[in-house]
Amino acid sequence: MNEQIRAFSELDRVIHEPGRLMIAALLYAVEKADFLYLQHETEMNKGTLSSHITRLEEAGYVEVEKTYRGKVPQTLLRLTKTGRKTFERYRSNLKKAL
Amino acid sequence: MEDLSKLLSRPQLYYNIDGVGELGIGLMVLSYSLLGWMMLHSPETAVWHKMYALFIFIGVISCIIHIGSKAIKSRITYRRTGYVEYLKRKHWATMALASCVAALTSAGLFIAARQHFALFTPAFLFFLLFAVLYIRIIRTYRWKWAVFAAMVVSTVLIAFLPAGLLENLAGHSSLGSALTARTLGASWLTWTAFGVLFLVSGAISFWLYLRHTQPAPRESE
Repeated sequence: MNEQIRAFSELDRVIHEPGRLMIAALLYAVEKADFLYLQHETEMNKGTLSSHITRLEEAGYVEVEKTYRGKVPQTLLRLTKTGRKTFERYRSNLKKAL
Repeated sequence: MEDLSKLLSRPQLYYNIDGVGELGIGLMVLSYSLLGWMMLHSPETAVWHKMYALFIFIGVISCIIHIGSKAIKSRITYRRTGYVEYLKRKHWATMALASCVAALTSAGLFIAARQHFALFTPAFLFFLLFAVLYIRIIRTYRWKWAVFAAMVVSTVLIAFLPAGLLENLAGHSSLGSALTARTLGASWLTWTAFGVLFLVSGAISFWLYLRHTQPAPRESE
């Protein structure tokens, strides 16, 4: 198996899904962001976004914090250390594969 | 891969989605311009030439911009398109870089003024570089290219204004004799024009943002 194909096979399946890749990339560039921001940037509906976030949270890549901004509920999200490392590895593998 | 890089730069662009970044820069540039005018046209003994006055002025303007931006963000932007907290290490790196550039520029200007170097062309190129940096940061908004064009045109037009007119703008301060009154007058006018352009551009962005977004429903997510 050549290196390019091996790089493809090593791509993280959880992050590789386009919706989750968008979320991971947006969160990678910030300390944290809220649900509304991700919804605005990804243009996904609440249900789809929520299911992708749950999948990332189950994988241990994203940390979810439920809080309040004044009286309005706010969901803050951040990439965990594992999430950051996985995303960096994903990027370098993708670079090798392309 | 390119799309992924674009995605990674989106949070940085988000800071100015409501035009607040440009409004802040515009206000800062115009306040420096006002300070410059006061320094150029007041007697040497005036308060505007004292170092402490300079620090107080910059401190007050910085506070106004900081508090104003924060208020707009928390009352309008975060309610409409969401909240973002930027990476702290990146923030400090930018601040450190900006401080180094400012210190080097000041030292360069000081040396050039003492040696009576001709600074008209470097000043002209500096403003063009400033315009290029501006459009590089917000190139994704097509209409901002008009602001970039206005910046370039105003820089060129001001450079070709009659020397007498530019010298009059510089007043009769000691700064004028060190840097040549023409350079000082042209720099002041270009700086002011940039400030106005940033403010106009920021105001248009803010208006467009308010038109195209709605506050999110209260039960949010």
